[in-house]
This record gives sequence, C-alpha cells and structure tokens, in this order.
Amino acid sequence: MKNFEYTIKDELGIHARPAGVLAKEAKKYASTITITKDGKSAQATKLMAVMALGVKNGNTVTVTVEGDDEEQAFEGIKAFFENNL
Amino acid sequence: MKDKIFGVLQRVGRSFMLPIAILPVAGLLLGIGSSLTNATTISTYGLESILGTGTILNALFSIMAKAGNVIFDNLPLIFAVGVAIGMAKKEKEVSALSAMISFFVMHATINAILQIQGKVLADGTIAEGVLQGTIANVLGMKTLQMGVFGGIIVGLGVAALHNRFYKIQLPNALSFFGGSRFVPIISTITYVGVGILMYFAWPVVQNGIYALGGLVTGTGYFGTLIFGIIKRALIPFGLHHVFYLPFWQTAVGGTMEVAGKVIEGGQNIFFAQLADPNTTHFSADATRYFSGEFIFMIFGLPGAALAMYRCAKDEKKKQAGGLLLSAALTCMLTGITEPIEFSFLFVAPMLFGVQVILAGSAYMIAHMLNIAVGLTFSGGFIDLLIFGILQGNDKTSWLWIIPVGIIYFILYYVIFTVLIKKFNLKTPGREDSDEETKLYTKADYKARQEGNSEGSKQHHGDEKSFLITQGLGGKKNISDVDCCATRLRCTVINPELVNENVIKQTSPSGIIRKGKGVQVIYGPSVAVIKSNLEEYLLTAPDEIVENDNVQEANVTEQVQEEKNDDKKEVKNTRVFCSPFNGKADSITKAPDEAFAEKMMGDGFIVIPSEGVAYAPEDCEVSFITDTRHAIGLETQDGMEVLLHIGVDTVKLEGKGFNVLVEEGQKVKKGDKLMEFDMEYIRENAKSDNCIVVFTSLSEEQEVVMKTEENVKALDEVVDIISC
Repeated sequence: MKNFEYTIKDELGIHARPAGVLAKEAKKYASTITITKDGKSAQATKLMAVMALGVKNGNTVTVTVEGDDEEQAFEGIKAFFENNL
Repeated sequence: MKDKIFGVLQRVGRSFMLPIAILPVAGLLLGIGSSLTNATTISTYGLESILGTGTILNALFSIMAKAGNVIFDNLPLIFAVGVAIGMAKKEKEVSALSAMISFFVMHATINAILQIQGKVLADGTIAEGVLQGTIANVLGMKTLQMGVFGGIIVGLGVAALHNRFYKIQLPNALSFFGGSRFVPIISTITYVGVGILMYFAWPVVQNGIYALGGLVTGTGYFGTLIFGIIKRALIPFGLHHVFYLPFWQTAVGGTMEVAGKVIEGGQNIFFAQLADPNTTHFSADATRYFSGEFIFMIFGLPGAALAMYRCAKDEKKKQAGGLLLSAALTCMLTGITEPIEFSFLFVAPMLFGVQVILAGSAYMIAHMLNIAVGLTFSGGFIDLLIFGILQGNDKTSWLWIIPVGIIYFILYYVIFTVLIKKFNLKTPGREDSDEETKLYTKADYKARQEGNSEGSKQHHGDEKSFLITQGLGGKKNISDVDCCATRLRCTVINPELVNENVIKQTSPSGIIRKGKGVQVIYGPSVAVIKSNLEEYLLTAPDEIVENDNVQEANVTEQVQEEKNDDKKEVKNTRVFCSPFNGKADSITKAPDEAFAEKMMGDGFIVIPSEGVAYAPEDCEVSFITDTRHAIGLETQDGMEVLLHIGVDTVKLEGKGFNVLVEEGQKVKKGDKLMEFDMEYIRENAKSDNCIVVFTSLSEEQEVVMKTEENVKALDEVVDIISC
C-alpha cells in the first residue's frame, strides 16, 4: 500500500469533468485507488462517490493505492493529480 | 522515462512522414522535367526538333521542372505545417493553420530585425560584410537561413502550444477567442518572440551545425561510414528519419554554392545541381548520405532474400518464397527495406548486425567511387533510373553501382547462407513447427460477425482490422493509430492487453513494442491497412462479446480483467424517463467534449424548456454538489444517475440554482428536485443543456434514444440495453 497527500490547485475542485477523467485514469490500473477527505473516502473509479466528496480548491486529500501494480499506479495517479488537479 | 522519450521521438519521426511523402512526386517532376529540358542532353541525343526551346514538349517539361522545384524551395514551410499536423493530438487543421501563420510571423520578425540592424538594405539587397549563406530568401522575405530546421522549430512549437491550449476557456467577454481560435493567436505572439530570439540565437546554432557537418565532412570517407552505420542501425527503432533528415536537408550535411546560390543539405545540393544546366558531375560529397543505398537496396538485400529462400525448408519454400519475393521486389523498386529487414531482424538479430555493417560501408564505397546518384526518398530502381541512368554516367558515375552491387549481392548471399546454416537461424520458412497457435481463424471471425449482426449494432470491417483491434487489446485499449512508410504505429492504454500472437495472424513482418507504443510492420501497404483500421474502429463495438466456447479455451493471454466491483449489472432493457421538460438528444450532442465523448459515462441531454428537475423515478438523492449545479441519484435497482444542469455551471457557484431536496432523502417519481434559472445560466455559463449521465453502466451496456423530439418530464426517453 502506498499513499500521498495532495492539495487541490484546480480552482473549481474535483467537479464532474475532472472526476470523470480521474475515474478513467484510475480504471487503467488493477490497484484500488482511494481518495480520502476529512475521514470520508471514495474509490477513484466511482465517479459519483468522488463527486460526493465535494473536494474543493485548497482541500487536502489523501490518495491511497493498493494492489498488484501499485508502483506503477502510484506514479501514474500522482502525475495525474499534479498535472490536472 | 525512457519509454516516454521513445514515444515522443516516434511521434516526431512519423510526423515527418507526411511532408516526406511528397518528395518522390516532386522529385519525379523535377527529375524528368529538368533532364529533358537540359540543353546538353538534348543536343547529345540530337533531339532539338522535338525537345528544343520553343517546342510544346519543352514547355511541358519546363512546367514540370518548375512545379517540382517549388516544392523543394519551400520545404521549410511544408515541414512546418506537416510536423504541426503530425504532432497535434486533435483538431489538426487548426494547428496546420497556426503553423503557417507562425512560420510567416517568425520570418517576418527576423526580416524586420535584419533591416533594422542594417544587414538587409531597404531595397532588399544584402549589406556587404554579411557572411554569405547566412541569409536566404524565404517566401520573398530576406531572413536567416534556417532551412528545414526553421520549419521543424515552428511545427514542433506550434503543435506543443496547440495541444496545450486548444481547449482553453477564456472569460465570457473574450469567449469568442477561446478554444481552438486561441491557438493561432498565442502562436503568433509566441513566434514574434521566437523570431527575435532566433535572430540572436540562430547564428550560434548555425555555427554549431556547420561544425557538426564539418566533423562528418572533415573525417571524409570515415564520416560517411559512421553516418551509414548509424542510419541503418536506427531502422528498427523507426528513428532513422530524425537522424538522417538534417544531413539531407540542412547545413549539417554540408553546404555548397550552386548556380550562385548557397545550398545546404546533401539532397538539396543534388537537386539544385540537377536544376543547374552547368553541372558537370554531381557532388559525391553531397550525395554520400544516400548514393550507397542503391548498392544494397537493389543488389545486397535481394541477395539476402535469396539466401533465406534457399535455406527454407522444402515444405515451406512456397510460402516463404512469396513473402521474400514481394519483400525483395519492394526493396529493389522503391527502396523500402523494412519488409526484408524485419523478416530476419527479430528472429536473427545477428543477421541484422551483418546488414548494418555491410549497408553502412556501402555508403562509404559509393562516396569513394564518386558515385553521385540522387534520390527523393530511398534507393530503389525507380530513383536510380531517373536520377542516375537518365542523367548519364558522366555526371553520376552510376555504372559503378553495377559491379559493386554484384559483389554486394554475392557477399550478402554467402554471409547469410553461412550464418543461417551454421547457427540454425529461424529465418522465414525455417520455423520448427507452427509455433503460433491460431487464436483467431477466419471461421471464428465469420462466426463472430454473424453473431453480432443479430444485435442492434452490426460491425463492418475487414478481418485484418478485426484481428489488429483484438491483438491490441480491443478498441478501448487503443488510444492512437498512425503510420509511416511501412509500419502501423499505435499507442495503447494498457500494454498488458496486447496479444502479439493475434496480431501475427495478420502476417506482419514484425512487431516492435516499447512501453505503450506498438509498431506493427507491414510494408508499403500499411497506409491502406491504417485507413481500414480507422474506419473499422469508428463502427466497431467497444467490446466484442465472447460467445464462442472454442474461443474462450484458446484465449489464454487475453487479460480482460474487468474491475467489476464498481459496476452494478442491469439486465436486459430498462427504460428511463426524462427528469426535464424540453428537447431530448444524444449525449454526443452535448456542447462539452468531456460529456460528448462519454468520458463520464453514457447518457442523454435535454435542452430544457422549463427550469425544473423532477425525480424521474423513485430513488434516493445520493449527493448534491456544493455548487448545487449537479445532483446524484441512486435508483432502486442500484443504478447511479448524475443530473448535471448546464455546461460549465460549476463556475456559477450556486447562483441560479434552488435545490429542494437534501442528500440522503428518498424521493418519489415526479417530485421536484430543484429549480434553476435558465436565463441566468444561458447568460453566465456555456450552455443550459441538462445532461443526464449514467455513471455506473458496464461496458456492455448502451444507452439508446427512444426519441430525439420534445419530451415532457417523466416521458420515457431512453432504453438502457445490456448486450
């Protein structure tokens, strides 16, 4: 299991569009990717659950990666957050 | 990281292919036109009455020569636009226009500074004391001589800007200039800057280029040998275009004064000399980057093919013979070597080592023998005829190619035969047994197609495209398809899903994989294969249903691990009612790419006629965004539905929305969920279209519109079909 913390820089937070792209990215990996904010978590592949977290600009989330390809998934998802969110 | 660089270089390499593809035609026009208008040729053969000045044929050939020449003269612009198209990810036409604009802007900027600095005088002449050859005439502008590099700088830069900005959203007042319209704007501004920068930086680069060229030129024959070996060794990586182009097209390959003009690049020098009636012998120093190719392409490699054929097992001779003969003919006529090279490269890398050294030395030998035959694209017989034989032995020394070629033929034949036999190399026709298990046979394909045609969506397309798609892990796994002269270049999402055995059924000469990049080598017919595949992908179903038991048993490598945890299956057909009053339409018509491409899932849109959202059936409100522009619902059978009111309404920060329910609340069909101010949304956001997305559908499920007309809330609007 690997995890990292990330503070959202996107002005609008994780709204529908980025959540959709994130879900798509997360589906590339076999690992389970979980996003946690203020004790509430959601699997990155579940669009609605991620949106329901209501992650806004400036919020810090913890992203947890667990599974067979976690090294690769960790790098990929981390880069995704840094580039898109 | 390494894979990433390979991926980028591969894209750069293939972006060169579009502009390079014009060279054979331009070369034919120029070659035929200028040889048959050449006064010396005409008088040698005593053809003044037919071809002399004033005759119709003379006029025709003069036009041909000019038409061909203009392409060579303007290659920088052609490369700028061509590379921009090749590198742009989407809306390529926008990047093409931007590249052309930027090319003008950059050179106009440099021209202006040259005038301000007094290096170019007001009447357009070049001031004294300016080093000759550093200033050139590009599209009527006196500017720094940047050659094809100038074009490539523009192409790569504009494509980068394009990929970064083509979806940019500007504030409302400026929104007209947003999206793809922003690309030419930012490119123009950027390239004014690049122009200024280039005025100062380019002379330094120029010195560097001359020095590098000087290094190869200065080391004489040895330099030619090194060039040849590197170029041939890069073939398997498909990166040779990146390497040789500067030598052919820029000052790296040397400069020479031809007919009073300073020309840079080996190929350019040859064609300038071709157009110049005063040429007595073409410069072998210029042609050493390609003249040697005739030797091993017309003679050497066919020798290798013969060796492989003779070494094939008797029962497989026929099959191997067909493959090798067509590969050898392609190589001899057009100079496209990959079909032959890839027939042994993968099974016997040792032979490829031999090929690299023999071919590399051919460049040097041609240089030493003063052989100066030009070519447009590669060293096949067609080019030899036009740029060697037709130009005459006096100018080209092409006759030398024959004795040297015969020696090469023997060398290739003997070395290949000895090595194949000694090490029992598995060249075509020598495989132990049928190693590849036929995973997908023609019958399987047919059966499958029939099975599918029963469904609502029939898929068209040929068998090859079908197999390629399967081999690449299915339509969804393919993110990008392109091709160069001989290979299909694909990028996949998950390399693990690629199954080479399936791709091998399409009889390619080789498959190269590097990270997410997959290259399948087919030979010159690849352009057709690519267009068929693209057409097939347009209509192909996302995932082909496995309905064949034999199939199942054979598919061992097909790692189709679905992550089912987040998908709640819905069986058969299920209707869904509209939550809105208004005009229903397919989600692909949504005025937002992310929705229209079903990035968040399949669904539909309603262009509302009333600002109210109703519960389409009994369900639970699973969440409401803080900005109140979207509501998530969970139906009683566990399906997730996202109601997204308007496009880009997240920016309204809740203004214009009045949500009437709470998270977790159970609602009945027809309950009002929220009211929204359509007028306010239309004025302050991109669109008031209401988007309904089913975020939990599996890949086998599809949303089909029941109507694309006006609907009332709670009218049935779509069917959700499970295949």
